[in-house]
Amino acid sequence: MKKTKLGEFEELVLLTVAALQEEAYGVEIKRDLEQRLKERLSVGSIQSALKRMEQKGFLHSTLGEATQKRGGKRKRIYTVTLQGRGVLHEMRDIRAGLWNAIPQLVKVSTI
Amino acid sequence: MKQFTDVIPPRWPLGLLRCFVKKEYLEEIEGDMEEIFYDDVEQRGVRKARRKYAWEVLKLFRPILLRRVGDLKPLNPYPMFRNYFKVSVRGMIRHPFTSFINLFGLAIAIGICILVYGFARWTYGMDRFHQHRYEVYLATFYAQRNGGTQVFGMTPQPLGEMLRKDLAQVRQVCRMDDRDVIVKYENKVLHERVRYADASFLTMFTFPLRWGTARSLEDMNSVVLSRDMSIKYFGKEDPVGRQMLLTFDKGGSKSFTVGGVLDEFPKESSIRCDILVNFENLRTTDTTYRPGDWNAFIKATWVQVERPADIDVIGRAMEKYRKLQNAAAPVDWAISSFGFEQLATLYDRSVPMRNKPIWGGAEQNQKSVIFMEFIGIFMLALACLNYINIAIVTATRRLKEIGVRKSIGATRRAIAIQFLSENIVTTCFALLLGFIFGYFVAIPWFEEINHFSMGFKLADVNLWIYLPAILIVTAIASGLYPALYISKFHVVGILKGAVKFGRRNPLTRVFLVFQLILACIFITSAVMFTQNTSYLSHRNWGYDPRQELYVSVPGGAGYEKLRALVMQDPDVVTVAGSGDHVGKKTGTAVMHFPDHQYEVDQLSVGPGYFETMGLTLTKGRVFAEDRETDKQTVVVNEFLVRELRLKDPVGQVFRADSIPYRIIGVVKDFHSQSFFDSIRPMMFRMADRSRYRYLSMKVRAGSADRVYKMAQARWVALYPNLPFDGGYQEDVWGDYFNEINTHAVVWEVLAVIAILLVSLGLYGLVRLNVAGRIKEFSIRKVLGARLRNIADHVTRQYIILLMISLAAGAPVSFLLVKTLLEFAYPYHMPVGYSGVIIAVLILVFVVIITVATQIRRVVLSNPVHGLKVE
Repeated sequence: MKKTKLGEFEELVLLTVAALQEEAYGVEIKRDLEQRLKERLSVGSIQSALKRMEQKGFLHSTLGEATQKRGGKRKRIYTVTLQGRGVLHEMRDIRAGLWNAIPQLVKVSTI
Repeated sequence: MKQFTDVIPPRWPLGLLRCFVKKEYLEEIEGDMEEIFYDDVEQRGVRKARRKYAWEVLKLFRPILLRRVGDLKPLNPYPMFRNYFKVSVRGMIRHPFTSFINLFGLAIAIGICILVYGFARWTYGMDRFHQHRYEVYLATFYAQRNGGTQVFGMTPQPLGEMLRKDLAQVRQVCRMDDRDVIVKYENKVLHERVRYADASFLTMFTFPLRWGTARSLEDMNSVVLSRDMSIKYFGKEDPVGRQMLLTFDKGGSKSFTVGGVLDEFPKESSIRCDILVNFENLRTTDTTYRPGDWNAFIKATWVQVERPADIDVIGRAMEKYRKLQNAAAPVDWAISSFGFEQLATLYDRSVPMRNKPIWGGAEQNQKSVIFMEFIGIFMLALACLNYINIAIVTATRRLKEIGVRKSIGATRRAIAIQFLSENIVTTCFALLLGFIFGYFVAIPWFEEINHFSMGFKLADVNLWIYLPAILIVTAIASGLYPALYISKFHVVGILKGAVKFGRRNPLTRVFLVFQLILACIFITSAVMFTQNTSYLSHRNWGYDPRQELYVSVPGGAGYEKLRALVMQDPDVVTVAGSGDHVGKKTGTAVMHFPDHQYEVDQLSVGPGYFETMGLTLTKGRVFAEDRETDKQTVVVNEFLVRELRLKDPVGQVFRADSIPYRIIGVVKDFHSQSFFDSIRPMMFRMADRSRYRYLSMKVRAGSADRVYKMAQARWVALYPNLPFDGGYQEDVWGDYFNEINTHAVVWEVLAVIAILLVSLGLYGLVRLNVAGRIKEFSIRKVLGARLRNIADHVTRQYIILLMISLAAGAPVSFLLVKTLLEFAYPYHMPVGYSGVIIAVLILVFVVIITVATQIRRVVLSNPVHGLKVE
């Protein structure tokens, strides 16, 4: 495995960005994740995760359009880079492999 | 849906956000926050949304989002500052005249600030050196006098002893009282003041001993001397073990052994004494001493407790003593309560206290400190304004430099920082010079004219906070505006030569006007205070002190003997005896009328006293010689009649100490104290012949000196063992006239400095102005302009400025100085306009001279040099 790792929260954010596609900007990511996780998240936590992953090269961002609601400030739309996708896949594979390695649990779940 | 413009996110979190979040992230995050905010406004209301917004902002404090401090200064700024330093030092050397004006002005102002600091520290640091300053308290009492509650520093004699016995919280008690004494050592016989004190005096207060032991004060036969006394009698050597003979006022003589010598009193000590003996000596050396008598008061009772909180407990227990006191005291002297004053704050709070056992200059000093703080600030303002003006005008010289700096990438901020740092360099030099000036000139001068020493030390932490504070305040006050002003100009304009600035800056004129007003105030104060001093020295005392002499005598027999001798002299006109004496010794009494009571000063005098002292009788009569019934009559002054609104004073009856008295006469008001103190209601009582303490003489004009020597010679023949104690009535106020003269001198010096600063500043301005217009003047001269024309062109703008300043400054100075005089002197000259007029004339004269020097320069210059292009 590579040196660059993803934290649990980062992984969730990265997946949300991938899922939201064109809609992936700060507020939307936060809203989506809050719904899924059923807990409140602070802007700070989302933002720091986004910035950290951008620095690592998993995310790429462009400035989008401005709305009145944002006081005329532009959004920053995030997209997952190839490298990001690679890491996500890698994570999924690792997880899947681990799940398969736990026979009892698999059994329990199948019953 | 709500309009977004109605509600906006709270301001301070937004500001905070903008200042800490990285610039490149700011737009996005700010937008996100705002979007969430408006969602919240819809869902939960404005207040919750705002609160949440603020909270979210705080949660944005994450390392990755934070702006990095290092981002601002990618380069090492050190070489740049080194360059600024170099440039500023070179600039100072290249233009010695302007740098002299700047340095000199700032240095003088800073010197004065240092003096102010030293004085304030001395005043507010009084008695702070005592180790037990928080545990030692002075017992005081409050009493109703003339319709108000007053606090007294003395205490009834038994109080100390009872406190010590009754209360566990009291760790030790020190009673003290002072008496006059005659000290004889070998052939020295002198009047001194002796202090009776408990041995705890030396442990309660931090007065270390130079020689001997503190325990010697426990010994009834030892004295402890102050350093001054020790030098006076024994020179520099250790006197421990020597014998001194003390002759007491009431109760014979006793020989004492010197048991110890105190170190010199710290300069900040308000408690001082000359000769200390054990308190119990009062029993044997004062025949009038009545132990346990609540009616007898001693100078002070000090109490030391374990913890300052204990004093509250003691305070509550005092009610018992109040009852004891009031049971014994005559109704006149009933007290309302006892109190305690902590030694640490005693001096500051001692202003309203009467009969205080400490040095009484608190009020004067606190006033002086306020005065001096103002003066320090004014002087600093003058100097800073000079600096600002000159910096703005000289900016022209540096246009090219600024242009070049800007074009190779200096931002406005960099230029402003450059100028500020240059300014700090200048101020540093000024601080150094100012410190030298303050330490070696201002403070010694101030101490000398005021005859005291403020004990200014370099090893003082606060001083080293104060000095950098002054440095920074001065540097910023004087440098900020020029720095911002100069850094404002656009590089293209500068390099093209299109910008002509500095010379016509309107603020320069405002500053100049302000300076002239300040100078006007200083000059007016100086003139008026000088006038006032000369007025006060000629002010009527209510009697003529010039032909009066007094001698203190030991009782009635001594008076008779001396009187017989001096009467033989043809120059002695009249002689009178008295128990008290105007200006030397005054008592107090309470007058009881049926419906009210009133506290007055009282003088007990013999029958001839009024005539001898030249007190003018306006109504009724004075005491008659040897009329026994006059013992129950009094003569009062007009002030008392006015205060009590007595319609027909003569014949009025009142009681004092339960004895009825009748007013038989009224005398004109006179000053029994110096002009610092208001005239007080005064009552004269007939003195018992046997209790005469003073002999006063009226002598023929011009013979005072001779009679004084004659009286002295007669005295020595009469009492070879008693030192002569007499003097000219003119001198009874001691240093009063010196002191008010000192005030005038201080103002004069300040005015000279103010004039100097203003004229230097003005000179600099005019000179630079003329230098900048030299081409214009040269052309005028070539075309035939005469002196008048040139003078007109040089002076025009200054004349207007001067007029404005005087129009504003004269009334302001008048009112201000009037207030100052009223604040400082209860009796001052009638404030007229002459002082202001003189001040204005002086100022105009100085301005004219200053401008004239420059006109002369222009007139004498050769136009060819002015027109030559280099």
